[in-house]
Amino acid sequence: MPLLKLRESQIMKIHYLTGICAVFFVAIHILFRLIMPFGQSLEFHNVVANYHNMYYVILLELILVFISIHGFNGLRIILIELKQNQWWESTITILVLAAMIGVVAYGTRTIIIGSQL
Amino acid sequence: MGIKPNSENTPSTGGDIKLKSGREGLMGWLNPTRYGWERVSYWLQRLTGVGLLIYFIGHIYETSSLVNGINAWNSMLELTQTTGGHIFLLLVIGASTFHTVNGLRLIFTESGIGIGRPGRPDYPYDATSLNYKQKSGIWVAMLLAAIAMLYGGMVMFGDVS
Repeated sequence: MPLLKLRESQIMKIHYLTGICAVFFVAIHILFRLIMPFGQSLEFHNVVANYHNMYYVILLELILVFISIHGFNGLRIILIELKQNQWWESTITILVLAAMIGVVAYGTRTIIIGSQL
Repeated sequence: MGIKPNSENTPSTGGDIKLKSGREGLMGWLNPTRYGWERVSYWLQRLTGVGLLIYFIGHIYETSSLVNGINAWNSMLELTQTTGGHIFLLLVIGASTFHTVNGLRLIFTESGIGIGRPGRPDYPYDATSLNYKQKSGIWVAMLLAAIAMLYGGMVMFGDVS
């Protein structure tokens, strides 16, 4: 029985959707670095000021979630292409899901603490 | 005596005909020589994807130094705001642009856009799906990646903001 109840075609739709959304959100994220000279935009106080903007915080969280889903699912696809059997596919799925949750949790922690600085 | 797939664990006996198992693993995945630009695009998409995932995780770790205060942030920034760090960022810009544009091409392809109509297989058996539209998409992805790297270089090393 497959570990995930989603069909591979449904997972691919999620993969494409998260990829397209990530492109738009990352473009906004980069524009925030270009509204002033690049080096200046990375100064501590400027970065903390970004984290106090609620809309920007939501944007960062969305980038974190979308890229994590897209990136780790991409890794799963590559690894499943290399070898096919039930044990391998289930193990890879569990590992990438765990890694994805770990990265999202760690990034969310930074966003929450950063917005309270 | 018989035909058996050649397994690494099973040495073939004198009477057996040696056949390859058909599984090339990672080396087959990386081999760009047999299928032209489509194959190069295939593994570049995966290579840039894995590279960007590693960068993404590194970027989250790098940004987390923010929570330890201004000194930790500045120390982390010193590591990245170097010539080497900027060159690495240029590679990230190029990889992300190629991955995005080529990814869009792949979405269109999977939707059936730009692969042409199926035709009678005539010699030399060129697949209609590997047409000039697909090849142009790959070239456009590479060109845009180069332009993005150029602009990124001007921002990081020059006066463009």
